[in-house]
Amino acid sequence: MSAYLNTRVSLFADHLWRAEQFRTLMRASEAEIPNALSEGGLERLAGVVAGKDIHSLEQSIIAQLLDETLILLRPLTGPERAFLLYWTERFEVTNLKTLLRGKMTGERPAALLTRLTPMGTFGKLDAQDLAHAEDVTELLRRLETGHYAGIVRQARQAFEDSRDPFLLDAALDRGYYEGLARRAQELEKQHGPALRQLMGPLIDRINLVWLLRYRFNYKLPPAQVYYLLVSAHYGLSGSRLKELAALGSLEAVLAALPDGLKQSLEGAATIPEVFARMERAASGQAEKVLASSAPAIARAFAYLILRERDLRAVRAVLRGRYLHLPVDMISETLGQLSEEAY
Amino acid sequence: MFRAQPMTRATLWLLASEAPDAALLLARHGTFAPVDEKREEMPESPAERYREIFLEADSRLNKILEHCGGTMPPLPDDIVAPNLAELEELNAWLKTLWQTCSATSESEARIEEERKHLTALRETFARLKSLDLDISRLFRHDSLLDARLGQLPSGNVQRLKEALALAGYLLSVFDVHEGLAFAVVAGPRGGAEGMGGVLIQAGWRDLPVPTELQSHPEKVRKFLETETVRLEQSHAAHCQVISDNLARFGERIQHARLSMTLARPLAEASLNGVRGKGQLSVFTGWVPKDKLDDLQQGLDARFHGRYMLETRQPKAVEHNHVPSLLRYPAWLGPFVPLVKSYGIPRYGEFDPALIFAVTYLLLFGAMFGDVGHGGVILMLSVLLYRKLGRGAWLGISAGVVSMGFGLLYGSIFGYEDVLEPVWLSPLHDPIRILTVAILFGVGFIVFTLLANIYNKLNAGHVAEALFDSTGLAGLVFYLGATGSIMGLAGQADFGQLAWGTALLGIVTVAVFKWVETRATLGERALVTAIETLETGINLFANTLSFMRVAAFSLNHVALALAVFTIANGLGTAGHWLTIFLGNVIIIVLEGGIVAIQALRLMYYEGFSRFFSGDGTEFTPLRLAGTKEASIRV
Repeated sequence: MSAYLNTRVSLFADHLWRAEQFRTLMRASEAEIPNALSEGGLERLAGVVAGKDIHSLEQSIIAQLLDETLILLRPLTGPERAFLLYWTERFEVTNLKTLLRGKMTGERPAALLTRLTPMGTFGKLDAQDLAHAEDVTELLRRLETGHYAGIVRQARQAFEDSRDPFLLDAALDRGYYEGLARRAQELEKQHGPALRQLMGPLIDRINLVWLLRYRFNYKLPPAQVYYLLVSAHYGLSGSRLKELAALGSLEAVLAALPDGLKQSLEGAATIPEVFARMERAASGQAEKVLASSAPAIARAFAYLILRERDLRAVRAVLRGRYLHLPVDMISETLGQLSEEAY
Repeated sequence: MFRAQPMTRATLWLLASEAPDAALLLARHGTFAPVDEKREEMPESPAERYREIFLEADSRLNKILEHCGGTMPPLPDDIVAPNLAELEELNAWLKTLWQTCSATSESEARIEEERKHLTALRETFARLKSLDLDISRLFRHDSLLDARLGQLPSGNVQRLKEALALAGYLLSVFDVHEGLAFAVVAGPRGGAEGMGGVLIQAGWRDLPVPTELQSHPEKVRKFLETETVRLEQSHAAHCQVISDNLARFGERIQHARLSMTLARPLAEASLNGVRGKGQLSVFTGWVPKDKLDDLQQGLDARFHGRYMLETRQPKAVEHNHVPSLLRYPAWLGPFVPLVKSYGIPRYGEFDPALIFAVTYLLLFGAMFGDVGHGGVILMLSVLLYRKLGRGAWLGISAGVVSMGFGLLYGSIFGYEDVLEPVWLSPLHDPIRILTVAILFGVGFIVFTLLANIYNKLNAGHVAEALFDSTGLAGLVFYLGATGSIMGLAGQADFGQLAWGTALLGIVTVAVFKWVETRATLGERALVTAIETLETGINLFANTLSFMRVAAFSLNHVALALAVFTIANGLGTAGHWLTIFLGNVIIIVLEGGIVAIQALRLMYYEGFSRFFSGDGTEFTPLRLAGTKEASIRV
């Protein structure tokens, strides 16, 4: 099974886009865009009116990722399968948040349903039923009897006590990523450091960016900021996060980071910049794992991370073109996703 | 029985205001399967809003029924479907009613939570009493300490403890009960701001503690009792609200249920099949040809000419999209799911259900021919009839056929010397049984090729029907090659004719592949060579596959012999116990394997050659609760 998955991942790895393909897409005429996408193995996206319907584009991107994940899942069983399946659930957590927000604003069920991402065989939410819930409380109660009960239960309590949508979102996100880290840690014991090399940058990025955002954008006190972070720790330990949460400025936080991270984020002046740099570093790490002889599950996960990065870059190009942004600006945006020059 | 019922494309034009009634009538008839047909002159989807309101109302009604219960009233014949305005009004009423019910439901959930909370609190107070601590001093508002007593999910304790430390607060757990931790949080008074919303985030709930805990245990008891009574009163009040609602709105709820049943057809049809413009609506769909007159009479009776019905036969290019209505006699019913698990016959395609039933039973009987074992299968199927339902007929027929072949083979519970074989004993003449199996295979494959030619011709693919490897050319090659091989084996003498026929067939296939392949010269030559070679290999590999029929019939005897050999080496009790267990193993294990092998032969050597199975089942609009079998024979 592992040999099959490895071969499958290696075949998929050829689908990852090269800088040249992005350059072609950026410079292609309107009529050439579908062809450029098809040649890059993205026939599904070529079918969408390029860049003009952001929702369809987003749905097509997720559908593409789900299709590929489905193929990678075929030879997997046990915790490895559970881990990759859980990785796809973040799209459904987004659906869940859309449903909650829709209920908060009293959106019509029919309109709300069109905004959800179709999850196909991965779907665990009964969207029809949930969209017809009368209000947030009823929706949360219904969710508590379903697949996402674990994530939702505490979020409901927090929301009922505070009625703060921010706390609801934060609790859902934290619940999801803690579940991911828990599943990953189970596999890390089995499959050595490769998976850890992928999870580390991911969880560290989430923790650091959330810390900065909660602390300096939302002005939350250190105690609450620390509580809202993912409790799994990789490069940033619990004690380090506590220290960072207590600091008073972005510069002070960046200066107090462990050496490796501090160097890579030196000079970063904004939270989006911190995010972009850390994401780029995570992509670099994923590329290394994909090119290595790491266990098949780690290579599969690395591929999915990189594939998602590519698809987001394609979306950025299409959106940029639709908004008639200069090629240089689109190019600069893409540069934030990968170290490769576009 | 050998193909789907002829269909007619029907387009029904009528006033938009009568669309709900038209949908209701179509659903009552249960013979109209809507399809989406984009029409430039009818660009609107007039029933979309209707569907939207229906779904909202339906969701609310279901929740109300879950909450209040109720039964479905009978459906009068002359009742009409609600129009959009009526449906909107109903939806608004259901919304108001559900809001009342929902509040009750939510309160019930809270009461249940509070009950749990109170039970936990009772335990906690019992523990607190045993502490040598004056809690009333701890919670004094004028102290320098900001202390609070509360509960939180025990999984959040460690994280909260670490977070509170950042705000200068301490958390101390003094009890854990069913996943809930009871704790005291304390810090400097005035420092609560530093905690922000962390307590809420951690699921913390303050406990209402009487401050006289330590000194007045009687008050605690009283407090708990009062709380319990309060909860029970709340619960009783909510029950009263529910029964009041039922008494007040019961009749209207049942009427709402009726209206929703009547509104459902248009809501379902709106997904596809209903288009419109202005005051005009059009329903497009498929109707079984023999039901068209009934439908027209129904339309006349209801709309008295205020409609227009256009009909036409399906075009050849549409065959892939025409739904298949398959009618079977009741006795064939149990075999149909096995065919459908492979696929639904496409409209116009040969329906293999009858052939499947006959061949499957023959193959099973030939591989598992034993009067005793067949009898056991028959008996078990009869005994389990209630549990298995119609599926038991599969077991009954397999048992009968197995018994029949048992008589032909002279085999009963593996004993070969009790019954005289009517035909032959496989073990005593294996070559003959192998030859018969292969000849059966040849016959079966010839049939599949003929069925494929029929299907291709029917679908308008004349070239494929005549020249492809699974068409007439493939059949000619197969018959020629089979005749040649039989000649070589000394079984028949067709002379040069057989070789010539085989050559003609394979050359025709090769030429067809060459013409059909669109590629460069080299690639074309390669594809032609490989696919032509594959034609021969496949046909013969599939034929040889039928040797397993003989192999399993031999295997059946061999297994019984193995059982007898073991049994003969034991004492009387051991002998009969081994015979019994051996027969059980043969029935369960070999019976199961043979059932699967027979299915495999049908699917892979048979269906894959001629049966696309990618048809769409005919699913007409129906009124909820009407039987699907009503249009079946």
